[in-house]
Amino acid sequence: MIIGTVGAKTIGGVSNMGRFARFAWQSMVASFRNCLSPCTYPLIWTQMNIIGVRSVPVVMITGAFVGMTLAVQAYDQLAGMGLEEHLGVLINISVVKELGPVLAAVMLAGRIGGALTAELGTMNVTEQIDAIRSMGTDPIRYLAAPRVLACLLLTPFLIIYADLMGIIGGYFVSVVQLGINSRAYWSFSASGVELWDVAIGIIKGLFFGVAIAVISCYKGFTCKEGAHGVGQACTEAFVASFISILALDFALAVIFKSIYNTFWSLKSLI
Amino acid sequence: MKQGDKENNVQAGNGDGIIVLKNITKKFGAKVVLDNVSLAVEKGKTTVVIGPSGCGKTVLIKHLIVLLRPSSGEVYFKDQRIDDISERQLNEIRTHYGFLFQGGALFDSLSVTENIIFPLRQHCEITDWKKVEELVKSKLAMVGLDGYQNYYPANLSGGQRKRVALARAIALNPEVILYDEPTTGLDPIRSDVINELILKLQRELNITSVIVTHDMTSAYKVADRIIMLHKGKIIADGDADHIRNHPHSVVQHFINGKVDDDDLAVLRMRGTVSQAQFLPRDFEH
Repeated sequence: MIIGTVGAKTIGGVSNMGRFARFAWQSMVASFRNCLSPCTYPLIWTQMNIIGVRSVPVVMITGAFVGMTLAVQAYDQLAGMGLEEHLGVLINISVVKELGPVLAAVMLAGRIGGALTAELGTMNVTEQIDAIRSMGTDPIRYLAAPRVLACLLLTPFLIIYADLMGIIGGYFVSVVQLGINSRAYWSFSASGVELWDVAIGIIKGLFFGVAIAVISCYKGFTCKEGAHGVGQACTEAFVASFISILALDFALAVIFKSIYNTFWSLKSLI
Repeated sequence: MKQGDKENNVQAGNGDGIIVLKNITKKFGAKVVLDNVSLAVEKGKTTVVIGPSGCGKTVLIKHLIVLLRPSSGEVYFKDQRIDDISERQLNEIRTHYGFLFQGGALFDSLSVTENIIFPLRQHCEITDWKKVEELVKSKLAMVGLDGYQNYYPANLSGGQRKRVALARAIALNPEVILYDEPTTGLDPIRSDVINELILKLQRELNITSVIVTHDMTSAYKVADRIIMLHKGKIIADGDADHIRNHPHSVVQHFINGKVDDDDLAVLRMRGTVSQAQFLPRDFEH
């Protein structure tokens, strides 16, 4: 009985993973084909506007509060050791390397992921996706690919906005509110934050964007009938996106650290 | 050919139809929805599939265009097997079909014009927008909705949505139109408008039609041939007169809209209405 239940759940989980992998592959292939087909650019442009442009305010607010909170939390620790002028390094490296990308991506998973799943899920239960197929059009290419491309291309830009506001927020609290010397703040920041740190934060955005879009579209395409089905798909999409962001963040941190240790040190030789 | 012979032929899948289903079985998990169904849809004719709710009518019609793939069996369109080809190859085949979905399935975010030109945009290089406008106008005129070009689905009634969906379904001048419960949810007058439209398309464009319905008035009006599905199997096949006089009790109960002993037994098992008074006595409006 127990073995049967565990076996059935395992098979269900593996087949679900297989379906997701197939969907992800088809979405990536369709996205690549869309890039080569100018007639699909209006679809991509529309999604870029919905996904990217309209997310700018919320991502900027997130970034600003991340920077400000870091300043407040870290000041006492550093001041106790007489290192408060190093606050800029701590805030800025945390913002550009980790907290900016991750929290901006989590915010996007909530704002965009839920909306994508709800939209596609409703289209699914009202047979609009079947209607697209019945008219000889690939719904993955028409619906999923533009959304994946929009997320892929714009998440890094949104992360730049989050980083920028995080840096400004951290500066505002550190210098204006806590009275740290502005020149020291920036000079320690410049010496501690490398271009590499900024770059890996932005590159993470590419992975986070694709993960959010593919998971949300998949959940929308496979959602069950009725209002409950759509609601459940939205919840699952957010949870799966959130976990993926954290897992990807860990995996990318390990990979980038290896790359840095291997190649970045060679920079001085050049 | 005698009706009985025709039923045997259809069951064997020997018809020379434009769409042929051979021994189709469809299972969802352990549930068998279609059980070894064979059917040949004749070109230029209107075939109506009737049957009680949940008997597999919609699943059957989706197999005709391979929106669902069979668990076993074969689907042919113009003698080409289409149930085992890729989605990309199917997309080309599907341009020969139009499909009117039960709720219309219009795209909410697109206007009536954009909905109708959707299949054109996907399959044709549009260079002359004036011609496209004329085409939209002519398709909408066919369904009696010229002037509604800039409306959105949310601003249309249920009947109007179905008519716009029909205009979209005929946008690519298909050879076959599949209708999934075209009159469900409409009042008798609107239902008759849809029936007249189906007949008009049949007359003017010589389209092959397959209609899934449980509206017998509609079925008798438009059908050249009526098929009845029951528990995933075809139990009756013939013209309207054949179905009216069919000896099978399930067919007679269905077409006359009468419950049978099994239905009544279920009601009896659930007890009397007075026993179902579970609300507290003080629950009064």
